[in-house]
Amino acid sequence: MITVEHLRKEFTYYRKAAGIRGSLHNIFHRESLIKEAVRDISFSVEEGEMIGFLGPNGAGKTTTLKMLSGILYPTSGSVSVNGFTPWDRSAEFKRQISIVMGQKNQLWWDLPASDSFYLNKCIFGISDSDYRDIVTELAELLDVKDLMNVQVRRLSLGERMKMEILAALIHRPKILFLDEPTIGLDLLSQQKIREFLKIYNEQQKTTVIITSHYMADIEALCSRTVIINQGCLVYDGQLKEINRLLGKRKLLSVKTAAPVSAEIWETFGTVREINAAEVILEVAQENVKDAVSAILSNLEIEDFTVTEIPIEESISRFYQKEVIVP
Amino acid sequence: MNAYRCVFLMGVEQALEYRISFLLSMLSALFPIIIQTTMWNYLYRHSDASAVFGYERGEILMYSLLAVIISQLVSTGFEWEMNSDIKLGGLNKYLVRPLKYERYQFFWFLGQKIPRIMITLPAIIIITAAACLQGMPITAGRTAAFFLSLVLAIILNFTIFFCIGLLAFWLTDVEKLFGTISIVLTVISGGVFPLDIFGKTAEMLTTLLPFGYTAQFPVNIINGRFGWERVGMGFTFQIGWILFFLCLGNYLWKRGIRHYSAVSG
Repeated sequence: MITVEHLRKEFTYYRKAAGIRGSLHNIFHRESLIKEAVRDISFSVEEGEMIGFLGPNGAGKTTTLKMLSGILYPTSGSVSVNGFTPWDRSAEFKRQISIVMGQKNQLWWDLPASDSFYLNKCIFGISDSDYRDIVTELAELLDVKDLMNVQVRRLSLGERMKMEILAALIHRPKILFLDEPTIGLDLLSQQKIREFLKIYNEQQKTTVIITSHYMADIEALCSRTVIINQGCLVYDGQLKEINRLLGKRKLLSVKTAAPVSAEIWETFGTVREINAAEVILEVAQENVKDAVSAILSNLEIEDFTVTEIPIEESISRFYQKEVIVP
Repeated sequence: MNAYRCVFLMGVEQALEYRISFLLSMLSALFPIIIQTTMWNYLYRHSDASAVFGYERGEILMYSLLAVIISQLVSTGFEWEMNSDIKLGGLNKYLVRPLKYERYQFFWFLGQKIPRIMITLPAIIIITAAACLQGMPITAGRTAAFFLSLVLAIILNFTIFFCIGLLAFWLTDVEKLFGTISIVLTVISGGVFPLDIFGKTAEMLTTLLPFGYTAQFPVNIINGRFGWERVGMGFTFQIGWILFFLCLGNYLWKRGIRHYSAVSG
């Protein structure tokens, strides 16, 4: 459905020193610099697949999505989205895609969301009955039926984002690009949007690429994840495989009856945190059993739990380039 | 429904959304009219000649009242929105939809004009009827030509300001120019006083340049100052300039959007 090959995007910008002096200097001489937002990215997405696109701020996620949706021209490389080159911006291509940006408003601010929906209906030439069915169905799923006639500017952030998603789906796009759709939302709203996207993807088999800084979004929705950092692809695979790749390690949280020194804890595993009678140890998967039995037989234990290393932490190791997957 | 008809109706809706702001804009439109009337009355009362700059008192009053109203009728404002669309990435939502930005802006602009047209039209009719009662020879033919030129003036001013709005692709602080450009164009379109009072050269420049066709030309049709031959020539210029700015807008858009897609978004 989507094939991206050696995608690259450079931006030119100007250096300017702070203050008036810098501005005056720039009138006569502007030093232009080149920023490589995307260096070399290749991946492909199957029809109906939902992939998570991860990376720290400035990694090139939004730039890539903009190239995939035809807003930006790449410096080099090729992209095929359902057979179309996005930046040719053919009307047929535009009928097949939709993009939602959490930080950009695509609805008409001063008018009720229903007006924006109706305009989309007219733009995409959707029949009255189809339009009614789609809006009723989506408004029901997103729980926004009662807000259709409220000015967009009067909606809360969560409500507005639901409306943005609804507007983006009116023409039943085959491919949906979601750029941080849950940014700034409270936990409940994030969860609602997540649930909706999951159901929608299952029902419609829409191909979705989603970027988010909330790992819960990605864990709930995407089995496959593409991680980019500094414009390069650093991981492409199953989310649950990440911990395995980083070497299977577990976290042991232990509470003892009396404080135990760090030196003693070090004999069981790597000490992550220590606070009076509580400690968190990092232990290799194969040593967990031995470590637990050793602790139980040598120390007076009040409580203990064994957990996975949080996925956020593993991902951040990719961000910091601690791990490079060939 | 056609997408652009829908855009047009949304424009009307938006214009009516803020009632106070709409009423204030109507009220502020009255000030230039009061100032013009007072100024010309004062000038003629203190002048010995019956005609100043080749205009009699009634003629100049009719001219300035109609010109002020027409200038307000053709005035734009979408260039500010274009600027923010281009600078802040609002343009993206048009680029990913099968929609032409220029047409979108045009129908939105027309839609937003409708409430003003509904209020301005009776004013134009009253002024013309009063002039007619004063003995000005206003025929059905002239009235029809006047309204046609008014429609073309609205289109022409749109195409001019669309091109100005597109400069936002290249100029960082272009919005600082908008206010100045708008005032200068109002004056050189004859929207404040007739430009022929400055003599032959000014009159010739007004004939050749596009700006007079957004205000002075319609007034000169209805007040009978232009013979039919000049009216015909005026329409040719007016349509010619519309085509010119349409092509220029098209060219700038294509260049601008390449620039936008290359550097910002």
